[in-house]
Amino acid sequence: MLNWFKTVKALKEKGVLGMNDRNYSVIAKYNDRSLYTLVDDKVKTKQLANNINISTPKMIGIIEHQYEVKNLVKIVEGYKTFVIKPAHGSGGKGVLVIKDFDGEKFYSASGEVLTFKQVYQHVSNTLSGLFSLGGRYDVALIEETVNFSDVFKNFSYHGIPDVRVIVYKGFPAMVMMRLATKESDGKANLHQGGVGVGLDVKTGETLKAVLHNKPVTIHPDTGANLMDLKVPFWREHLLIGALAYDMTGLGYLGADIVLDKNRGPMMLEINARPGLAIQIANGLGLKTRLEEIDKHYPLGLSAEERVDFVLNN
Amino acid sequence: MKLAQIFSVRKSLTYLLILSMIYAAHSIYFKVKYWGFSFSPKEVTDIWTVDAKISFDAVDDKTRVILSVPSQNSRFNILSEEVVANGYRITQDREKNRVVFDGKGKKGRQNMYYRLSLYKDAKPNVVRDVPQKLERPILEEEEKMQMTKIWELAQLQEGDKVQKAIKVVNQEMANPSMSLVLPLKHTAKEFAEKLIQILAYKRIPARIARAVKLEEGKKTEKPGIMIEAYVDDSWKLYDLNTAKIGLPNNWIVFQRGGVSLLDVRGGENSKVMFSVLKSVATPMKMAEHRAKSNQALSQYKYSIYTLPVLEQNTLKWLMIFPLAILVVVILRNVIGVTTMGTFTPMLLAMSLVKTGFVEGLICFSIMIFLGLVMRAVVAKLNLLLVPRISFVVIFVILLIQLLTIVGYRLDSGLVSSAIFFPIIITAWIIERASITWEEEGARNTIKEILNTLLTAVVTYFVISNETVRHVMFAFNELNVVIMFIVMLLGTYTGYRLTEITRFAPLVNKD
Ligand SMILES: Nc1ncnc2c1ncn2[C@@H]1O[C@H](COP(=O)(O)OP(=O)(O)O)[C@@H](O)[C@H]1O
Ligand SMILES: [Mg+2]
Repeated sequence: MLNWFKTVKALKEKGVLGMNDRNYSVIAKYNDRSLYTLVDDKVKTKQLANNINISTPKMIGIIEHQYEVKNLVKIVEGYKTFVIKPAHGSGGKGVLVIKDFDGEKFYSASGEVLTFKQVYQHVSNTLSGLFSLGGRYDVALIEETVNFSDVFKNFSYHGIPDVRVIVYKGFPAMVMMRLATKESDGKANLHQGGVGVGLDVKTGETLKAVLHNKPVTIHPDTGANLMDLKVPFWREHLLIGALAYDMTGLGYLGADIVLDKNRGPMMLEINARPGLAIQIANGLGLKTRLEEIDKHYPLGLSAEERVDFVLNN
Repeated sequence: MKLAQIFSVRKSLTYLLILSMIYAAHSIYFKVKYWGFSFSPKEVTDIWTVDAKISFDAVDDKTRVILSVPSQNSRFNILSEEVVANGYRITQDREKNRVVFDGKGKKGRQNMYYRLSLYKDAKPNVVRDVPQKLERPILEEEEKMQMTKIWELAQLQEGDKVQKAIKVVNQEMANPSMSLVLPLKHTAKEFAEKLIQILAYKRIPARIARAVKLEEGKKTEKPGIMIEAYVDDSWKLYDLNTAKIGLPNNWIVFQRGGVSLLDVRGGENSKVMFSVLKSVATPMKMAEHRAKSNQALSQYKYSIYTLPVLEQNTLKWLMIFPLAILVVVILRNVIGVTTMGTFTPMLLAMSLVKTGFVEGLICFSIMIFLGLVMRAVVAKLNLLLVPRISFVVIFVILLIQLLTIVGYRLDSGLVSSAIFFPIIITAWIIERASITWEEEGARNTIKEILNTLLTAVVTYFVISNETVRHVMFAFNELNVVIMFIVMLLGTYTGYRLTEITRFAPLVNKD
């Protein structure tokens, strides 16, 4: 019991942001509820992003009604690889990455071979809301597959690593990279056993890495030294985050960014309620960081200026 | 600017909470005091029914019977009074605390009944009449000497003057010199009368009081005799044997002063037989009567306790929910337990109340287990979402039906309690669990189910507690307090208990 009080005191001193505090003092204050629709709908997010030159995977098409499902083959004509995902999905639910498609069989990224009927079924389920928030009717978004850059090849087991930038009032505040492991089954969520790597917001270099809340230095499956990680195009990553604020107006957001071989950093999605595990990966308290921005960061800067401010201070 | 805003929300909610607490405290005090509500559901009010059966032989053409009855001001509240006397004209004289029966042309043995139902109230026994100042009685020389002697001896006794006198008379009874005062063989009435004389010598007004002891099944022809004396500006009752002051518990005074308990004119061989019966009622049943006798009836009329029983029972069931909700809010926002759905645990807890704890849990586990197995089989069929959930719902209905029949045949409440679980909630838990299972593995699923069950169990223990249910119903203003507590919890920004462990690695150096 006494230990608990000590821990609470230490956590407060370190400025660790708790869930209640996040919801009450940050999200309720800076994220207007009406803005959620902008980021909960991936099609909308993509259109907004295109308008202000945030690069995202190119949209191939959308399927809105059950009777359109049979047009799938026509929609993806000319593509060997594509991704189907629910516009209102979350947590990777219902995302089907097709690596190869030969007109008969679909080969998924996770190694499954699917018939047309099975893919049809998947899209159908997507439309009926199986993967969506609150189970409501949804649309299926079909987009180009990201050509993942090889720089992180050794750092992730099967899955694709992504960079999560927490943006506060338009300033990139804290960043982490999420790496898949054998245990996390290609997914990069930390609570499913992914590795979280805290990145220095100024350099894109590793600060600290954790697996199941415990510090690690080596990837459990690939053996890569996590301390060697350095994200290229760092400024561009931060800029996507800063622009996401201009685009949505959300005072507190998380931008998920992946690195494409040819097109550079690309935004996959924006989260209006990003989680708090990033603090553990960075070994830093988020509240401290938010207060720093509140107090010392200037208002009225453009996205580029904000990124420069973060990089230079 | 913004910070000030938060501050004021919290502040105003705190004020409102305090206000609601003051309101609740006042209202509870009022209910306890004027309606007799209690915090314990087990508390009962004893209701005493005293039957006085009067019988006599009518001799004259005109007969009149006068029975002294308890005053309205006793510490008992009179619930009802009933008089049965065939062919008699009955007059109830509240002023003089008596009932008068007038008969004409009656012959032979007459029987009449006076029945009184009472319950004890918190108010004290007040007898307001003030006696006239007593002059010192004019006595013969011999008597005078006796009196002085008695009072001399009395000075050696303890207590107030009346107590001293009682003790002396009791002690000196065997003393031959006292035989003139009071024969060794005497009735309680004679004793009391003598005492009144002795007290009169000191100019203390005193009178006889006749009281019946309220004791289950008691039957008596002779009410107990006590002395009531006017000391220090109030009437006090004294026990003739022990000299103790005050009416013992569960005694009710039927008659006081010079009038007799029973006065029969135009008849002979009269007697009155008292018999006492006890019954019980909950304080809530008595509330209306208490409210009436305390001039608090108008408030009572607009309370939920005057509604028909059916509505009351529904409300009683509803009144427990704010507390259950509070428990869920605390478990989620302060402890940090993650459950399936916000109020699913609460609905489960409600079902457990109906099924019984162990039976409910076992039966529910069986249903979830079978449901998950079935759902896993169906997952292979790749059904669309709505039909699939519908399938689960129908499966659960069939399962409930099956379990109920089997339970009935085996005479096992354990199995048949299935019928009380909410179908949709059960189906939804199964669906949700099976999706979690596919996506996040068995461990997370089991963890989530256990968390939900745990929350349900905690909630169950709160809402199934007899006292809690009673208190939340009898003192329903507490729900207003709970409402503000819940709102105030909405501004709680401290760490959740589970977060302390979760974030501990951030500050623990290892
Ligand atoms: N266009 C794409 N190309 C390749 N992989 C993708 C693509 N879109 C999504 N993914 C994979 O699916 C995961 C979840 O997708 P995301 O758009 O973030 O949806 P969600 O809101 O469900 O998290 C990503 O982390 C990534 O691994
Ligand atoms: Mg994502």
